[in-house]
Amino acid sequence: MPKIKIDGDLYERVKKFAKLAGYSSPDEFIIHALEKELSKLDGADSDEEIKKRLQGLGYIS
Amino acid sequence: MKKGRKLNSTNMNNSKNRIPRRQFNQTMAALALGALVSSCDKKSPRAAHKVLIIAIDAMDHEILSRLMNKGAMPNFSRLAAEGDFRPLMSSIPAQTPVAFSNFITGMNPGGHGIFDFIHRKPGDVILPFLSTSETEPPKRLIHFGKYQLPLSGGNVVLKRYGEAFWQILARNGIPSVIYKIPSNFPPAPSALCREIAGMGAPDMLGTYGTFSYYTDNPPDNASKVTGGKVYTVWVENNIVRAEISGPPNTFLKDQPDATVPFTVYIDPKADAALIEADDNKLLLKVGEWSGWVTISFKLAPFAPDVKGIVKFYLKAARPDFKLYVTPVNISPEHPALPISYPESYAATLSRETGPFYTQGIREDTKALQHKVLDDHEYAEHALHVLEEDKRNFWRLFDCWNEGLLFSYFSSLDLNQHTMWRASDPLSPAYTSALNRDFGDFIEKLYIGMDDLVGRVRAKIDKNATLIVMSDHGFAPFYRMLNLNTWLAENGYMALNNDAAGDKIEFLEGVDWSRTRAYNIGINALYINLRGREVNGIVEPGAEAERLIAELAGKLEALVDEKTGKRPLRKAFISGKVFSGDHVAEAPDIILGYDRGYRTSDESALGGFPKNFFSDNMGTWSGDHCMDPEIVPGILLSNKKIKASFPFIHDLTPSILAEYGIGPSSRMVGKTIW
Repeated sequence: MPKIKIDGDLYERVKKFAKLAGYSSPDEFIIHALEKELSKLDGADSDEEIKKRLQGLGYIS
Repeated sequence: MKKGRKLNSTNMNNSKNRIPRRQFNQTMAALALGALVSSCDKKSPRAAHKVLIIAIDAMDHEILSRLMNKGAMPNFSRLAAEGDFRPLMSSIPAQTPVAFSNFITGMNPGGHGIFDFIHRKPGDVILPFLSTSETEPPKRLIHFGKYQLPLSGGNVVLKRYGEAFWQILARNGIPSVIYKIPSNFPPAPSALCREIAGMGAPDMLGTYGTFSYYTDNPPDNASKVTGGKVYTVWVENNIVRAEISGPPNTFLKDQPDATVPFTVYIDPKADAALIEADDNKLLLKVGEWSGWVTISFKLAPFAPDVKGIVKFYLKAARPDFKLYVTPVNISPEHPALPISYPESYAATLSRETGPFYTQGIREDTKALQHKVLDDHEYAEHALHVLEEDKRNFWRLFDCWNEGLLFSYFSSLDLNQHTMWRASDPLSPAYTSALNRDFGDFIEKLYIGMDDLVGRVRAKIDKNATLIVMSDHGFAPFYRMLNLNTWLAENGYMALNNDAAGDKIEFLEGVDWSRTRAYNIGINALYINLRGREVNGIVEPGAEAERLIAELAGKLEALVDEKTGKRPLRKAFISGKVFSGDHVAEAPDIILGYDRGYRTSDESALGGFPKNFFSDNMGTWSGDHCMDPEIVPGILLSNKKIKASFPFIHDLTPSILAEYGIGPSSRMVGKTIW
């Protein structure tokens, strides 16, 4: 998997708030935050949900 | 399910599926009666006749005949000798939601409006969706601090049109139990009926099934997994803390997913772990499945919890931690969506038999495809599904005193899709190791159904009618046709200059001003018709008819250069093969593939892979989305069948005839007796 470098202080803050917010790990928190921001940029949350559902159909690999 | 949509209500106030006033009154009267009298007590002279329908999805006529001929299916052979055995012609196309809609209504797709697993909405962006149901959001919300409260209920709408045969039976005083029939979510309301929804019913996330996989060493394909989600977790002091994601919390303004935390304590010495989730404590060995576990999603202080059920599977404890969790199924005891009719019936059955899968497609083929479950783990899970169906069937059978009982088995379908590669050396995904371990897996499933039929024959009343049927047969799936690529290369589609070619999905990047036809769905081809499509350019009438005929001719003549075979036996023109009120909504051409071929996954979702054809290397190695003549289903009965080659929609009037009821004027089927 690709890795991304972030500032050490920022990572410590991420670690602290990930724990406070109940994430299982800082990685999960960062992935969630990035996905949330990207979905805003995509501007079609509901469309994405529909696409996800279609791709979840066994008939479609 | 879209975010922001509420998990409640039925289709009773949906105008498309509105039930007539008289029927509504009968329904309410029957419900009132039901409160006083149990189903085992109801008796009417007409209802005393019993009809049992065992539907075995994808039982193939050729395979069954071969097994019967070699004596491996003695109970099927005895049933055939007592009554009859016929091939059963499936629907056009031979897909389960379409075929069972034919069976339910006695109409063809032009009448019931289900044409494919995937439909499209013509609009600025042509957006495909799963065809059989749709969720409508609540119309009004009130905001209250960080919460928002729906003032009107959202709707889950069954998109299949037409009256179900059990609704007609009920109007005539005949009770039915309908267990997991596909294309019936939410269940069609009907007096005197008890129904559990089948294929088409979603999981708690509103999908066809989204598994969760927790590991401290995620696979390289983690971000590309579909039908599931990979969660990276950390193991600290042999403890893993994680969450199970549930539905979006629509009470909160930003609608985050509701979650249930759980903790795993890995045994420091043994290959085992203790899992704590809500009030549940489970001790699992590595390689062990849990039973059903109820978890509660807390949405708001003033709202009741939403309950789901999951199973855990501990794949590995160390050196890497690997835990699979099934999709969160709607709890049958506390259903958040109308998965049964009456809505209380799922809870009744669950109390009698134990919890059960409520999502429509239970076998987790996506976890197998993405190697989250290996072949052995998948096979064990798939057999759990079959055992659960058998357990519920026998409960229903033992309590069946009158009227009609319908029961559905999915195992042959999903496991022929995934395990065909184990027994067919021509499959691109075949290996000798797979053949050694699973070469007889499918055959054993057939023989397992023979055992069930034998037990039924031994126990069923002498005067009862027994029907064993399948919706279609099965065939290998060796090669995929990239239909949109073919359309583009042959001048029927055009892409914008900046479109990313083989990266395109969902028809994004199509230049509609230069596009005359497109593919969305597994067997569907649409003309870009002016007036029907927002950016339509093909004139209705003679121009459209010429184009459809031209495309049908070219597609039937198309040759796969690698094999020298023609992938399409027939390009069915919907205007010629369908009848009914919804023909205009149909794809213009239904693709009738030959044995071994199907539309590629990418093209079915509006993609443009590089070549016209590609080998199917995936686990999804068998299929049936072909010309129905290539994949006939099966029909056996303990009664003589007059029709020599019946169609699946012929069964509807045949069931009604069992009770002396004639077909409705909209049915195209004819009785087989």
